[in-house]
Amino acid sequence: MSDNLSTVAKAGFAYFASFGVDAPLVLQTLEAALSKGGDYADLFFQHRIVHRLTLEDGEVNRAYAGVEVGVGVRVLKGDQTGYAYTEDLTPDAMRRAAQTAAAVADGPSRARPQSFSIGKHHALYPLKTPWESVRTEQKLPLLQRLNKDAFAKDPRIKKVNVSFVDEAGAVFFVDSDGKVAFDEQPMTLLSLSCVAEQDGQREQNGYNTAARDGIEFFTGDRMDRMVKEAVERTTILFEATQPPAGEMPVVLAAGSSGILLHEAIGHGMEADFNRKGTSIYADKINKAIAQPFVSIVDDGTQKHARGAVNVDDEGNEVQKTVLVDKGVLATYLHDRISAKHYKVAPTGSGRRESFRHSPLPRMRSTYMENGPHHKDEIVKSVKKGIYCHNFSNGQVQIGAGDFTFYVKNGYMIEDGKLTRPVKDVNIIGNGPKVLEQIDMVADDLTIDEGGWTCGKDGQSVPVSQGMPTVRVKALTVGGRGQ
Amino acid sequence: MSNEEKELLDAARNVVRIAKQKGAQEVATSAGKSREVEVQWRDGALEKISEATSRSIGLQLYVDGRYASLSTSDLRPHALERFIEDAVALTRTLAPDPFRTITDAKLYEGRQAKDLGAEDPSYDSLSAAERLQQAKTLEALCRAERPFGKAPEILSVTSGVSDSQSVGARVHSNGFEGSRRQTSFWLSASVTLKDPDGRRPEEYGYGGARMQKDLPPLKDIAEQAMERAAGRIGSKKPESGVMTMIIENRSAGRMLGSFLGPANASSFQQKRSMFEGKLKTKVASALLDLTDDPFVHKGFGSRLWDGEGIASKTMPVIKAGVLENVYIDTYYGKKLGWAPTTRSTSNLAWKYGTKDLSGLMRDAKDAFLVTRFLGGNSNGTTGDFSFGVQGFRVRGGEKAESVGELNVSGNHIDLWHRLSAIGNDPYPYSSMRTPSLVFEKVQFAGA
Repeated sequence: MSDNLSTVAKAGFAYFASFGVDAPLVLQTLEAALSKGGDYADLFFQHRIVHRLTLEDGEVNRAYAGVEVGVGVRVLKGDQTGYAYTEDLTPDAMRRAAQTAAAVADGPSRARPQSFSIGKHHALYPLKTPWESVRTEQKLPLLQRLNKDAFAKDPRIKKVNVSFVDEAGAVFFVDSDGKVAFDEQPMTLLSLSCVAEQDGQREQNGYNTAARDGIEFFTGDRMDRMVKEAVERTTILFEATQPPAGEMPVVLAAGSSGILLHEAIGHGMEADFNRKGTSIYADKINKAIAQPFVSIVDDGTQKHARGAVNVDDEGNEVQKTVLVDKGVLATYLHDRISAKHYKVAPTGSGRRESFRHSPLPRMRSTYMENGPHHKDEIVKSVKKGIYCHNFSNGQVQIGAGDFTFYVKNGYMIEDGKLTRPVKDVNIIGNGPKVLEQIDMVADDLTIDEGGWTCGKDGQSVPVSQGMPTVRVKALTVGGRGQ
Repeated sequence: MSNEEKELLDAARNVVRIAKQKGAQEVATSAGKSREVEVQWRDGALEKISEATSRSIGLQLYVDGRYASLSTSDLRPHALERFIEDAVALTRTLAPDPFRTITDAKLYEGRQAKDLGAEDPSYDSLSAAERLQQAKTLEALCRAERPFGKAPEILSVTSGVSDSQSVGARVHSNGFEGSRRQTSFWLSASVTLKDPDGRRPEEYGYGGARMQKDLPPLKDIAEQAMERAAGRIGSKKPESGVMTMIIENRSAGRMLGSFLGPANASSFQQKRSMFEGKLKTKVASALLDLTDDPFVHKGFGSRLWDGEGIASKTMPVIKAGVLENVYIDTYYGKKLGWAPTTRSTSNLAWKYGTKDLSGLMRDAKDAFLVTRFLGGNSNGTTGDFSFGVQGFRVRGGEKAESVGELNVSGNHIDLWHRLSAIGNDPYPYSSMRTPSLVFEKVQFAGA
């Protein structure tokens, strides 16, 4: 047993020892999971402690505390999955869950692992102080400061809402090949939302920041930026109108515009859809799908990023995965099942919302690499179009390729200049068509600091996204103005 | 009352006792337990079986004029006690809130003793083999379908059979106690077809019921999934324009949900409601008549009391287009000086029209029929919305070519005034029971 192995396994067993989890119990449960002839089994223990503080009408007068603990048992037979979980970590309850998951197979039992091994773990989110040791009194000033500064920034602000979330806890993974993984996964999210009033009209908007980090993430600069962005994004809405309806050039600002990549290509590159033949990208690997200056990656290894993971939820090493390499479709995002199906190495993309779910190939932090153009040159190139810089949500149909994203703030571009602000407009396009139409990419890649969450098959996971300034030749803008 | 309900009531009472012992003056607790089973069958083979028995406890603590809410699935007695103790200490660090009180006990009175038909007594007799057989049959039925008289090129078919049984108990320190049991059963089929243009459109059919015997026939789900998927073949982006919009019953909940979203006390008090200043005024066409009805037999949203223990009552929400009532909880009601109604929607009862979807299309003659929404959002403060949609062009009163990659935009108050017809076809698999809806002069953005 290597030192590294004993450290990881020991840390995992030590963490879950207070719940009664030890090596014999893990081995017995795996044995029960394989008792009906499954090819493979894994156990995913999780403990998560969430705290939320809310400021409304000037006071932090609402708190939430939540604890989740449990284990998910998965059994695979070929591509088939048996899954069960229990929140009761007693030997009886775990055996019952294992036997339930085992029922996906129907054959003679298989042997449990004889020795343990570990894959590579990153160390992407060390904390100065773990969240368990941060007192509520240390968090309160963050909320109070945002409230005070937002009201001070603009007299039109009438209501301010602040919510602060921190998460602590750990996941511990052991499978029937003897692979072990353990990861303590912190998360924090601070959201500021404002309502402003002008001449009887009201507008609401906000800004949030998130990271796998400690309280040190909330520097003075970041707090000032939150106030500035939230207030400006709200008050500019009074001047904003609807853009016209129809197809036009769209310039996406550096940063959260990565939502376009997430919807237009990211989901379609998740290998489960391709394995089933249901993705529009299913037969396009190694084909040119975009200009040679377009490279798109999904990277789980960015320090402290919301979408970062030290090890994926199947114990695999997390990578920077190239989805599009200089315009050519390169690699799908794999979990264990799809990697085996395609006979390739996993990409560390097997993720799950919690122990209540079996893992799926998921994005982590999706962004486009820098290109050869400049932001000014891109804006200048557009005669009539829109510039989008703040987004609330997006969605995609994997097979048809149609996707949308909702623009909360943007500007009209007229004769190469940003002119009047626009708001509340949905944009719709078709993934492969839009990738072909990205005809300018700037050199100002920004990874957004916002708290993005991705939903798939009823499972939500934290993600990041980023983008340099990009021009799409034509997209359908769901406006109704002139 | 079943033994499980008694056990959960005891667990909830115990939590109330612990919380009071640790220093809370008032406590509201819920204890729940559920079992969920799901079978997925894909392309001729079992894809996934999953089964879960889940449990949890939730609490609202009122400590020295301060408030916190909690939830946990770690029910080991010493862990639970420690968790509540820590939470009481956390609550004491917050600012006091004079508006935060446990539900007024008077609102517990008048609870009806109706049978809501929420639980299938034969739930336990459903076998694993039966679920597997249903999923397998449903997939095969999809493959046997010949939508529009043709065999489509199928890329993948996934069928799903799922069911759940849940038991819940609620105990408040000021006298409320209640328990309930619910079951639900769902069938679904998702189909991906090959479009000659290279796309792989996917659509799905589904249906559900509180009782297994009320589920639609498997054949109906297969037909729904295949017909909808085949309808996407060759879909084109149409020209932008202002047109009549018909929303099919199954999809209408998206538009209605975002309309009613800000019709609650929290949005009013926080100045985030487009309805502020519009109570008792006309917010929609006179055709719109909506009542919140918690007593629908076998309804998905039916309840005898709400999440705060308030005894359920029917409540007119919109009457002949006039906003009569909004959803008011104890806390925001107190901040506004309004009496609580109920915090959230149960089921909706409509004044339905006389025509089905075909009849509505015939009357509209020239329109877009929306069969599915894709993304988009709605601003509850201003009422502005912009959604991605797909569906069909209606020409001469008949469903014509398939359209997609289309957006619809507008303002809710304006849109609902343009509601010109309501179908007689409530969608049965949702608590909103939306009929098909027709709106005049709506802005669509396409090519």
